[in-house]
Amino acid sequence: MATMAVSTRTRPTKTGSERFVRFWNRYLLFIYTGLAIVYLMLPVVVMALFSFNDPAGKSNFVWQGFTLDAWQNIFEVPGLQSAVTISLGIAFLSTAVATVLGTLIALALARHDFRGRSGTNLFIFLPMATPEIVLGASLLTLFVAIGAPPFFPLSFITILIAHIMFNISFVVVTVRARLAGFPTHLEEAAMDLGANEITTFRKVTFPLILPGIMAAALLAFSLSIDDFVITNFTSGGTLTFPMFIYAKARIGIPPQVNVVGTIIFLSAVGLVAISTLASRRRTMRDEAVARKHATDGT
Amino acid sequence: MHDNDAARRLDLTRRQFVAGSAMAGFTVFLAACGRSGASVAPSTAPVASTAPSDAASVAPSASVEPTPKPSTSAELNFANWTYYMDLDPKDETKYKTLEDFKAKYGTTVKYQEAIDGNDEFVGTIKPQLEGGQDTGWDLVVLTDWMAARLIRLGWVEQMDLGNMPNVTANLQDVYKGVTWDPTDDHHVPWQSGMTGLGYDKAKTGVLTSLDAFFDAKYKGKVDYLTEMRDTIGLTMLKLGLEPSKATNADCDAAIAEIKKAKDAGIVRAFKGNGYAEDLKSGDVVLAMAWSGDMVQALVDKPTLQFTVADQGGMLWTDNCLIPKGAKNAYTAQVLIDFCYDPAIAAQIEAYVNYICPVKGAADVLLATDPDVANNPLIFPPADILARLHIFNGLDEATEKYFNDQFATVNGLG
Amino acid sequence: MGGFLRRHKRIVPYLLLAPGLLWLAVFYVLPGIQMFVTSFWSGTLETGYEFALSNISNYTAALTRFAPQFTRSILYGGAATLLTFAISYPLAYTIAFRGGRYKNLLLFLVVAPFFTSFLLRTLSWKIILGDTGILLGPLKNAGVLPEEFRLLATPVAVIFGITYNFLPFMTLPIYVSLEKVDRRLVEAAEDLFATSFGAFRRITLPLSLPGVFAGSLLTFIPAMGDYVNAELLGNPDTTMIGNVIQNQFLTQNNYPTASALSFLLMAGILIAVGIYARLLGTEELTAGGV
Repeated sequence: MATMAVSTRTRPTKTGSERFVRFWNRYLLFIYTGLAIVYLMLPVVVMALFSFNDPAGKSNFVWQGFTLDAWQNIFEVPGLQSAVTISLGIAFLSTAVATVLGTLIALALARHDFRGRSGTNLFIFLPMATPEIVLGASLLTLFVAIGAPPFFPLSFITILIAHIMFNISFVVVTVRARLAGFPTHLEEAAMDLGANEITTFRKVTFPLILPGIMAAALLAFSLSIDDFVITNFTSGGTLTFPMFIYAKARIGIPPQVNVVGTIIFLSAVGLVAISTLASRRRTMRDEAVARKHATDGT
Repeated sequence: MHDNDAARRLDLTRRQFVAGSAMAGFTVFLAACGRSGASVAPSTAPVASTAPSDAASVAPSASVEPTPKPSTSAELNFANWTYYMDLDPKDETKYKTLEDFKAKYGTTVKYQEAIDGNDEFVGTIKPQLEGGQDTGWDLVVLTDWMAARLIRLGWVEQMDLGNMPNVTANLQDVYKGVTWDPTDDHHVPWQSGMTGLGYDKAKTGVLTSLDAFFDAKYKGKVDYLTEMRDTIGLTMLKLGLEPSKATNADCDAAIAEIKKAKDAGIVRAFKGNGYAEDLKSGDVVLAMAWSGDMVQALVDKPTLQFTVADQGGMLWTDNCLIPKGAKNAYTAQVLIDFCYDPAIAAQIEAYVNYICPVKGAADVLLATDPDVANNPLIFPPADILARLHIFNGLDEATEKYFNDQFATVNGLG
Repeated sequence: MGGFLRRHKRIVPYLLLAPGLLWLAVFYVLPGIQMFVTSFWSGTLETGYEFALSNISNYTAALTRFAPQFTRSILYGGAATLLTFAISYPLAYTIAFRGGRYKNLLLFLVVAPFFTSFLLRTLSWKIILGDTGILLGPLKNAGVLPEEFRLLATPVAVIFGITYNFLPFMTLPIYVSLEKVDRRLVEAAEDLFATSFGAFRRITLPLSLPGVFAGSLLTFIPAMGDYVNAELLGNPDTTMIGNVIQNQFLTQNNYPTASALSFLLMAGILIAVGIYARLLGTEELTAGGV
C-alpha cells in the first residue's frame, strides 16, 4: 500500500448515517447476495425436483409423488435419446473447433500488437451482442440464398456451423481474460535455455494457458448444448435437445427431460469443481516444491 | 404418454362403440357436406384387408410399368401431430403400430410429433419444396386445406395405388373423389376430428354454448386456436354465420368479435396443441379444443370434457401426404397401406380417439372389446354430426385476406 | 519452422487470427450482408424474388405494420436492462469488494444456473409463477390476492423472464470493471473525508461505468430480440418483434419483411457498439467483458 503524503489527522468519526452505511455494507449486502443467488438457483432446483416427480399422465407440473422411475429409465421417451445424442455431438464438435479458432485469436490479441487490432476487437464482440434471432435468421437467409438445400439440407451440418460461429467470440474473451498476466518471462527463460518457439509453446506456454482453454471449452460446450433460438432457424427438421424440449412443452414435458437437464447441470458443475480442486492442488504442490528448494538452498 | 397401467385400462373402458349406425350417419353426413362425386353408400360388413381392389373405383394415376417391386427401406421419416399414434401399453417408449410395421417389413420408422400447426410445419419445409429438394420427411400429415394447397403447388408425390390394396378397399367412400385430389392418389386420410369446447367441468360446469368463449366470466382463462379456420369458424357459428360459405365479410365480422374478446382480456393465448397443457395446469378453464386431445388429457385431469356446442362445431380431416423428393416414398405408401388394415386401424383408433376413416375398424373394435360402449367422440351420433361444419375452401387471395386479418388479433400482425 | 516464424515475426498475429476471423467473416458478416440484400427483395417463395432499391418500402411497411411490437420490444428490453442493472450491480459489487476468498465461488454460483437449458429454466418459472402454483397459490388461499390475479400471460412475467435470462450478461462485465478499481483510490477518498457512500459515488461508480455500458450492450438489444419469453410467459398482447421475425421467417416465409426487421435490430447493435467503441475504445470489449 503506497503511503500517501496526507496530514496526520485521523479519519473523521462516523456519524449516524455513516454507521448505517457501514451496517448496510457489512450485512445487508451479504443478505442481498444470498437472496440473489437463491433467486438465480430457484428454477434449477425446481427442474431437478420435478425430475423425481411421478406424474399420472403427460404433464409434469404438479407434484404427485416421489419416484426414481425417470432416473432409472431415462431414454424411455421416444426421440429423447436421438435428440440428446445429436446435441452432444454438435456440442463436442463445435466446442473443439471453436476452442481452437478462438484460442488462436486470443493469443494474437493478448501477445501481439498489430494493425487492425481495434477492428478485430470490435469484430469479435459483435456476435455476442447481436440478438440470437438475428444470428439465426441471417444464417438461414444465407443458406437459402446459396441454395444450401441442394448441397446439404438444413441439418446437423448447418447447426454445427452456426454453433461454431457464435462460440468463437466467447472462447476469445474467456481465454484472453486468462492470458492477462501471463508470465512471459518464463517463455523467455525457456528460450534462453535453448528451446525453440515450438518447444517453448509445447512445454511452457500451453500448459500454463490450459486452464483458461478448458474454461473456455466448458463455456462453449454449455452454450452449444443449450442453444435454442439459433438452432431453431438452422436445423430444418433435425431435433436437438432444446428443440425436443420446446416441442414437448406443448403436450407435456416428461420427467426424463428434467433428468437429462439435471445431469447436464451437475456434470458442468462437477467439471468446474474438479478442475478448481486440481488447480488448487497443483498450486499447493508447486508452492511446496518451491519452499523445499528455498530451504534446501538449491 | 400413459405412465399408468390403471389409467390405460380406464381409457379402454371409456371407449364404447355403436358401430353401424354411427358410422353410417357419419358417412352420410360427410357426403351431404359437399365432398363431391363419391358414392355415399354406407359401409356395413367389415371388408377383409385382403379383398382385391375394385378396379372401377381405382384409377391408377401413372401407367404401371412391369418393373420389379421395390423393397421397403431401412428407415422412414414420419412427421405427425401429437396424440396421433398408439403407444404400446406394455412398453410406453414404443409405438405399437410402428413396431408391428417394423416386425413385418424391417423398417425403422423415425416418428416425430413435429407438427403443431399446418403453417408452422410447412414453413420449415417450404424452402426445400420450392427448390425441389428432399425435405427430410417421407410422410407427413396435414389438414385438408393445407393438403389441397400443397397438391396444387405440385409439392406432393403421387402415390401408386397399386401398392396400396388396403387403402383402395377400406377407405370410407365419403373421402373419395375430393375436388382437390380427384384421383385420390396424392393424399390418404389419417384421422378426422372435431373442434369444439374443451373445458374443466369442475371449474365451469357443463358448457354447451359457444358464447362461453366470449363470456367475461372466464376472463383471462380462455385459449383460442392458432388454426385460423377453427377459431374463425367457431366464431362465425357463434354469430350465426355458415363457415362452409365463409366470405370476406364474414371474416370481418368474426375478427371483430374475436378482437372484442381479446380487448376485454378474455383470451389468454392462441395455442396449437398447447391448450391441453394450459387446461391441465389450470391456467385456463376453457379452450377451443380438438376432440381426440381431450380424451387423452383426461388421464392427467379427469374433470376435463369435450363438447360440440349447440351452435355447432368444426369438422376437419388430417391427411397423409408424401412430400416431393422423399427418399423413401415407396415405404411410406406401404406404411399407409399397413395402417388401413382394419385390425391395425382398430389398434390405432383405440388409442387415438379421433374419427377413423378406415372401413371395418369399428367392427374389429366391437369384436375385440365387446364391453366397450359408445364413444361419441370416435363415432359421433347423428345429432352431433348434424351440427358439424367444414370450413369453406379458400382461394389464394381470400386465404391471404383471412390470414392477414387473423394476424391482427393473434399478435403476429 | 521456428526459424521461419522468427524471421517473419510480423505475420504471426495474422496467421493466428486468420482461421477464426475467416469463419466469422463467412458465417457472420456474409449472412448479415445477405440479410441486408434480402430485405430489398420483393416477391414470394413461389413467384420468385427480385432485388430493387425501391424496396426500401419494405422497411417502412414493416415499421408501420409492426410498430406495436417494436415499441413493446424497446419497452420490455429497456425495462429488463434496468432491472438487470439494479439486481446485478449490488451483486457484482459485493463479490468484487467483499468477496475475499469466495470471489470465484460466488461468481461461479452466479453463472452456474446457466449450465442448464434456458428453456427448462423458463418453463420452471412458468411452473413457479403459475396461477395456482407455489407462489400464487398460498397467497390466494390466504386471501392476500384475488382469485383472478395472475402473473403468467402478462407483461410482468415476460419482463421478469427476460431479466432472469440476461442477468449474467450484466453481472459479469460490471464485476470485471469493479474488480479493476484500485482500492487505494477509495481509501484515499476516505482519507480525504469522503463518506463511504461519497467515495462510492465519486470514485467507484464512475470507474465501473465502462462495465455497465458493456453489460447494457450485451443485454438491451439482445433482449429486444428475444421471443421465447414472450411466447412461453406472455399473451397475444405482449408479442415482441422477435416473435414477429420468427413468425415471418419460419411460418409465413416472408423473407423480405423478416429480413428488414432483423436488419433493424442489427443496425441498432452496430450503432450502439460503434458509440461505445468511439467513447471507450475497443480493448475492453474482448478483455474479459463476459
